[in-house]
Amino acid sequence: MTGEKIIQTIAAFIHQILGAAGLSGIIFIIDPVLCAVAMFGFISLFVMFLVWMERKVSAHMQSRIGPNRVGIFGLLQTVADAVKLTIKEDVKPIHRDVIPYTIAPILAFVATFAGMVVIPFDKGIVVQDLNIGLLYIIAITSFTVIAILSAGWSSNNKFALLGGFRSAAQIVSYEVPLVLSLVPIIMTTGTLRLGGIVDYQAGHRWFIFSQQAIAFFIFITAATAEANRAPFDIPEAESELIGGFHTEYSGVKFAMFFLGEYIAVIVSSAVAVTVFLGGWLPLPFLGFLHLPGFVWFMAKLIFVIYLIMAFRWTFPRLRVDQLMDFGWKVLIPIAILNVLATGFVILLLEGGV
Amino acid sequence: MGAIFQYFKNILVGFWNLILGLSVTTKYFLSMKTNTQQYPEEKLPLPARSRSMIKLIYDGDKDQFNCVACMMCAKACPNSCIKLEGVRDAGGKRRMTTFKLDFSTCIFCGYCVEACGFDALTFVSEEYENSVYKRGSLLQDEQAMKWVRPAHLAPKPEEPAKVETSAPAAAGA
Repeated sequence: MTGEKIIQTIAAFIHQILGAAGLSGIIFIIDPVLCAVAMFGFISLFVMFLVWMERKVSAHMQSRIGPNRVGIFGLLQTVADAVKLTIKEDVKPIHRDVIPYTIAPILAFVATFAGMVVIPFDKGIVVQDLNIGLLYIIAITSFTVIAILSAGWSSNNKFALLGGFRSAAQIVSYEVPLVLSLVPIIMTTGTLRLGGIVDYQAGHRWFIFSQQAIAFFIFITAATAEANRAPFDIPEAESELIGGFHTEYSGVKFAMFFLGEYIAVIVSSAVAVTVFLGGWLPLPFLGFLHLPGFVWFMAKLIFVIYLIMAFRWTFPRLRVDQLMDFGWKVLIPIAILNVLATGFVILLLEGGV
Repeated sequence: MGAIFQYFKNILVGFWNLILGLSVTTKYFLSMKTNTQQYPEEKLPLPARSRSMIKLIYDGDKDQFNCVACMMCAKACPNSCIKLEGVRDAGGKRRMTTFKLDFSTCIFCGYCVEACGFDALTFVSEEYENSVYKRGSLLQDEQAMKWVRPAHLAPKPEEPAKVETSAPAAAGA
């Protein structure tokens, strides 16, 4: 039974219950709500797992043990932390700008969470396989810069403001290589639909095994910068800016920023898996295992997230000018060259447009 | 042309260095080696000469303390936290009757151990969890400080000092 069948069976079951209750008229409302709730539950649990994983990964990289007290292997440590954060007092600065201050954490969370809508976990398991999926993700996740800027501005704190400005400069700079690294894929596949890109890779090689490996590394680098993670964490550089844009946030609002950051990592890793690593397709030499596509997708997702975590715990933070140098003088020229080379190859192979 | 070559060479070298860095951290991650000491469950033996706790040495063979109440330790103590009394027994030898050390003012300077000429006071390394729930518990008497020296810690007979016979090596060349 494939994942698509299971989802269809569940959907048919729910529709049947609603029909029996005489509520078939509101199915068009119930369906999206159920999808959102399921996705939120999955994401919350996965973020909790990732926080635990990050602490374990960093610990073992530094010859430490990491969390091991709460629950087996310390797995419930994140649950305990989340409970502590939710019952914590919400300390607010007096001279804050109330509306942006309140909206910023919500926006930071929603902007990244909305990106999950178009991620295909398996063939057919996707909330809405938009035909402009890739464009949608790039557009919607860029909203985080507004959230970070308004958080920095409204906190009425100079460190938060500096963090916000740095974030604006960084995210605007790294948006360009991020998009440019995806352009060759769109040129090759001729579709912006994420499911379509995976279908193309099923017929050909995965893009990581072609000359687009360069694009993969550009994408991962730019995505790390987009998610404000080390080594590109200058908007919240602890040793320079205390906490950066979330200096003045505590309790649930801080938890929202934290959640947003991790969801940004998940979304960009999921895009990397879908676009470059063949999404739900099995590994080329392990196809005989007949595991569900969902398992393959999650395995690849965790691998890419491990890569991003390893970046954080290996590389030192970049200085602001080095950051700009790296973005504008290295990533963007290489990405443009890659676009040109891909276009040239397509032109040669197809003999003219 | 040279500048373009240099540009791509820099990128490739930098990329290779990043891979090297990642391989180091990944090696440590996969080895799962930890150096953490989970203290209440596992305890490290301290070095034999660490100044953890002061004890009165009790001689099991003679069934008495080594202390003869000569008061040298009480005089050496900068905080006057040692109080002791002694009597002269039938054979004419001095013997310690009460010994009190107030650990709430003791600074573990070790002057008393240095001053002791009868091998009666010593630092021990095996007992180092010295915190107590009541301040009064810090005032310890001779029964609390009683300690029988295990055989492997018995003092070695002092070796005679070696006399430097050979002429010092030519210092100035």
